[in-house]
Amino acid sequence: MKKIWRVFLYEYLRHVLRKRFIFAVLSLPMIVVAMGIFGVIMVALQYDGRPVGYVDLANWLANPVESAPDAAELFRDVEIVAFPGEEAALQALEKGEIQGYYVFSKNYLESGEVRLVAKETPSQGAQTAFESFVRENLVKDLPKEVQIRLLSGDRLNIQTLDGSRQSGEGRWVEIAIPLATGVLFMFVVNMTGGYLLRAVVEEKENRTMEIVITSVSPTQLMAGKIVGNLSVGLTQLFLWLVAPIAGLIFLRSFVPWIQSIQVFTPTFWLTMAAILPAFIMVAALMAAVGATATETSEASAVAGWFTIPLVMPYWFMSLLMKNPNAPLSVVMSLFPLTAPVTLPVRFAFTTVPVWQTAFSIALLYVCAAASIWLAGRAFRLGMLRYGKRLALKELFGLEKKAL
Amino acid sequence: MAAIQIDHIVKKFGSLRAVDDVSFSVESGEIFGLLGPNGAGKTTTIRIILDIFKPDSGQVSILGGAMSEAKKDRIGYLPEERGLYQDIRLEQALTYLASLKGLTGADARQRLDAYLERFDLNQHRKKKVKELSKGMQQKAQLIVTFAHNPELVIIDEPFSGLDPVNTQMVKDLMREQREKGVTIVMCTHQMNQVEELCDRLVLINQGKAVLYGRLEEIRHQFAGHEVLVKPVGELPIQIPGVVSRESHNGTVLLHLSQDVSPQEVLRGLVESGVGLERFEIAMPTLDQIFIEVVQGEQKVG
Repeated sequence: MKKIWRVFLYEYLRHVLRKRFIFAVLSLPMIVVAMGIFGVIMVALQYDGRPVGYVDLANWLANPVESAPDAAELFRDVEIVAFPGEEAALQALEKGEIQGYYVFSKNYLESGEVRLVAKETPSQGAQTAFESFVRENLVKDLPKEVQIRLLSGDRLNIQTLDGSRQSGEGRWVEIAIPLATGVLFMFVVNMTGGYLLRAVVEEKENRTMEIVITSVSPTQLMAGKIVGNLSVGLTQLFLWLVAPIAGLIFLRSFVPWIQSIQVFTPTFWLTMAAILPAFIMVAALMAAVGATATETSEASAVAGWFTIPLVMPYWFMSLLMKNPNAPLSVVMSLFPLTAPVTLPVRFAFTTVPVWQTAFSIALLYVCAAASIWLAGRAFRLGMLRYGKRLALKELFGLEKKAL
Repeated sequence: MAAIQIDHIVKKFGSLRAVDDVSFSVESGEIFGLLGPNGAGKTTTIRIILDIFKPDSGQVSILGGAMSEAKKDRIGYLPEERGLYQDIRLEQALTYLASLKGLTGADARQRLDAYLERFDLNQHRKKKVKELSKGMQQKAQLIVTFAHNPELVIIDEPFSGLDPVNTQMVKDLMREQREKGVTIVMCTHQMNQVEELCDRLVLINQGKAVLYGRLEEIRHQFAGHEVLVKPVGELPIQIPGVVSRESHNGTVLLHLSQDVSPQEVLRGLVESGVGLERFEIAMPTLDQIFIEVVQGEQKVG
């Protein structure tokens, strides 16, 4: 284990401590931050903080309730100002003191009729503030709990008959997680694959093969290389995700709907359980290709084929969503290369039998271990063939003459 | 105890018998020469010893048994096909390779410091390996071979790419290691280095071990019926038992008849009053033995 750790550290640090890597990692968050700052500036330039007024001809707002301003908000709520009559409101509008004013008709409580007078459509913030103001005043005489319930609106929640699964409007994230993770999966595999292929072919190109192989076992070497290079990709991904997650946490206090997002659902944990061995398996298979190839460019071309089964679940996404228990859906959720995306997607749409989940995950871990072994074998068989390719039948032991 | 024991190993690549029924042993604490012309099967033999290749038949025992992962830390190996990671600093490459031999970070640094100083590479430790000369890289590879204080060292052509000063430094290091009890197997074409350093040797040709034993015994075995003499004055024209002579820089090589011994010739010279500065049985050089054996094998083949 100690030697796997040393190979891992060497492979990991030599990439992570390079200027090229640091620059690549910093570039994306910096672009995101720059775009965020640009967006805030644009909003600030367009922001109209002038109040909106109202004229209450129905006389129902004798003692109006006013929303408490949220001190934490970047752009404060637009103030709602009462005018005794339409003349005063019009004067204020002409002077540009207000964005516009609303006129409640005499029979507003029966008809709900409100008229807006403005030179231009008031800002979104002004309209939202006025709508909240009206809603809060309409329910102000009801008991507190009823007020809260009415103001929070409806939430549709669908539950299976046995109560084991449920889905609601706020649970869209649950479906988005496996889909987004699959995309990130392919991204990391492509990125890591490049590092890994170089790292494996490097032993041949630099002729360090025999020194290394008489120090560690091929399996230890490949395990260290695979996990090390995979961690480089995951580090890059993690650092890229930290920026948007930090942004979401920052925005939570300003955007209420973000608070309703539930990320750590069973689907999330299932995705994580499937993705880790899948990463190792695909990376190990790529390493095996690297060990059998003679040049980095040749290895890269072959490794491209691994992304095809990874993309397959997206081709059949409609079927997976509409009929998650169809035979093809089940097979794809059990087959190791398609399982990381298919299984969580099925899980989000149906009740997946426990045996299928357990079998799929267990198979992924077995395949990950087998792939590392195969990569080690490919390395052992291919290592001393400078400039010679290793045949597949030799790799799988079908050729009698092994080294 | 033998550090390496090889019994009747055979390795075939297709129809080629790269190693054909080779047996020899390497004793602990000796410098052992593994010799042979190009393509003789030396490197394949080394790879079998180190478990890089599996033999088709025969037995290999290294450091008292079969090769294991734990034993790898007790062995230093400088292969023929060798290099270092090119795109990293020398210090980083050496520390990593030493750590794969089981050294902790602090131990590796301490030992590498001493070796870098000794091999005059200290001022280059921060440079990338690809910026170093071939000779410097060769020295760095020797450091990797010895840094973890191995009990057994196998080195293939240790002097290639080294100037005379560094060659001497490596020879001193090898002798010093032998004094400490380290076993060294040296594979080389430079016969003068073998004569200077090796205690015993095996010569492999066309996959077979054709010579094996102590260096002096082998030379005696190949010694002809000749003596070298350096007379104080002139040698008599007729010397009993001598059939011909060759002179070179004051030294004369006397070819003796088969029925006379060198001792009888010496006695005859002393009795006839010839002054002698030097009288010794003429031994063939290892180069001569090598050529004789290899060419003889080729003729037989």
